Amino acid sequence: MTAKRALHSLVPNGKSLGVKTFAVLVAAVASALLPLYGSDYAVSIGLLIFSYISLGQMWNLLAGYSGLVSLGQQAFIGIGAYTLAKVTTVYGQSIALSFFVTAVCAAAFAFVISFPIFKLSGVYFTIGTWIVSESALVFFRNWKFVNFDAGYNIVAAYKIPMGALYLGSFVIGVVSVALVFLILRSKIGLALMAMRDNPGAAEARGVYLYRTKLVCFLISSVYIAVTGVVLYLNIAYVKPGATFGIDWAVSMVFIVVIGGIGTIEGPILGAVIYVILRQYLYNFPGISMILLGAVAVTVILLAPKGIMGALHGRFGFELFSVRRTAAFDGPDREEGARISVKQRR
Amino acid sequence: MELFVQSLVSGLLLGGLYAAVGVGLSLVFGIMGLTNIAHGCLMILSSFFIMVFARHMSGSVVAAFILTVLVMCVIGALLQGVLINRVLAKGPEPALLVTFGVAIVIWNVLQLIFGADFKSIPSPMASVNAVNTRWVVISGEYLFNFAVSAALILVLHLVIQKTLFGRAIRAAASNVVAAELMGINTGRTYIYIMCLALATGSVGGLLVGQTFGFYSYSGMSYLIIAFGVVVIGGMGSIIGTLLGGVILGVAQLLGAYFFGSGVQILVGYLTLLTLLTLRPRGLLGNMTRE
Repeated sequence: MTAKRALHSLVPNGKSLGVKTFAVLVAAVASALLPLYGSDYAVSIGLLIFSYISLGQMWNLLAGYSGLVSLGQQAFIGIGAYTLAKVTTVYGQSIALSFFVTAVCAAAFAFVISFPIFKLSGVYFTIGTWIVSESALVFFRNWKFVNFDAGYNIVAAYKIPMGALYLGSFVIGVVSVALVFLILRSKIGLALMAMRDNPGAAEARGVYLYRTKLVCFLISSVYIAVTGVVLYLNIAYVKPGATFGIDWAVSMVFIVVIGGIGTIEGPILGAVIYVILRQYLYNFPGISMILLGAVAVTVILLAPKGIMGALHGRFGFELFSVRRTAAFDGPDREEGARISVKQRR
Repeated sequence: MELFVQSLVSGLLLGGLYAAVGVGLSLVFGIMGLTNIAHGCLMILSSFFIMVFARHMSGSVVAAFILTVLVMCVIGALLQGVLINRVLAKGPEPALLVTFGVAIVIWNVLQLIFGADFKSIPSPMASVNAVNTRWVVISGEYLFNFAVSAALILVLHLVIQKTLFGRAIRAAASNVVAAELMGINTGRTYIYIMCLALATGSVGGLLVGQTFGFYSYSGMSYLIIAFGVVVIGGMGSIIGTLLGGVILGVAQLLGAYFFGSGVQILVGYLTLLTLLTLRPRGLLGNMTRE
């Protein structure tokens, strides 16, 4: 690949790096430096937002781009959290090592369970993933190796300053956005879009459906496990019921659905809304979940593609374009044609 | 050996209860292709209704149950008519996510009102043994559960296969456009189906409430059992739910017999995953819609 082509594949439609890129860079730098000027409370909110951006992006990679609606990704948060606890608290090793072990464990677990659950399609896949995660929960409760239902304190996490925790979360969030962006701009992204538009035709043209989905599932699972480590460095206490809880799936679904499924900006916006709403309603336990449920239902009814989907549909606004040329855009050919006409002018 | 036979028989009877929990889910999936994540929470909602009504009606569980069925039918009609019918045409995922949102709302509203305490519905048969021999002891309650579930499933099967209403339902399930051309209002049929599903869910709620008791957050765990039952039997197959329930019940109690009661639920899940892998569309799942 020549340098020019490499650049072209990164810059959609041959446009130069413009105002949007500049705005994104400014926002990224401003949020990276948040611990220098923000209050402790702002930093703790920012920390949560970036971790949840990562979870949202990875769930969106599955549900929004690969057609794999999983309600079982919390299993990987559990794997990350427990690996962190075992490696640091029980074996007294470094946190850095636990990231590495987590990635290996999560990849192995995702690979093993992919054999049964990839036989399932559609809602059966959704149910299958959830049952896998619930099985993991029951298994951990009865497993002596992980101290049954009592869990562990992650002592190593106590000494980490807030700024470092925030930076870890920031990196995990930003890298997740970049990773999904690069995946979608790569050959896998093209394969995913072809699959979404017409699986049969895509397969006939030489797209390996199974392999493409498996790659996305592995990437998403490993990344969610690593995010789990970052999250639990902040929470600092693992227990099966909370780490493998359905609440994680609830948050991932809400972030992506509210923000906009199948868009890169959606999970970012969704994570900001989710975390702020949850913090704001923290003093009214119970109400926040009711409100989140109601908001999600309303959004699906009024704007099925989420806030970003609605913005894009109405104004053609998008921050990170993953399109090569508009003619390939979306399942709706007319829409694609309309956009390309606009660009020709 | 006695314990083995006991486990087998109890598992079989437990399966009846599970079938009552799952049959509404199967109905809704088979006919409108909707995965109703709120099914478990709606069932626990009916348990709470029965408990509260019974308290206000001088302890008559029967009267409370009848009232609950009526209330659940109204809730079902609202749920289907106002929310789900609007998103059903947009594919399975939006509808699934709507029911997910509804489930979260119901479970947290219950938690807000009733707290997280253990609740139960009084049962007249709790301490009566129907059969008491050297080999097996069968509690009246389990036998009652099984009989009620089997009757429920038989009636549902007959309604769907033999009546005009059932024929309209099957028409809407196999081809929406053709059914509408034949003069069937599919939107309204779907509302009836949801009411029927929640009425069966109330039976499940009654049996669960009497036999095991419940918490405000129990809905999600019963949803998994319902899924298990329905997935093993084949989504959309009414008779299959009874088979699925029995397989899941026996698997759980034999799992408890062989490996200890701590892993009872795990054995159920693993059986489910294994069967799902071997027969991805369930044991009797060939007659459902694509």
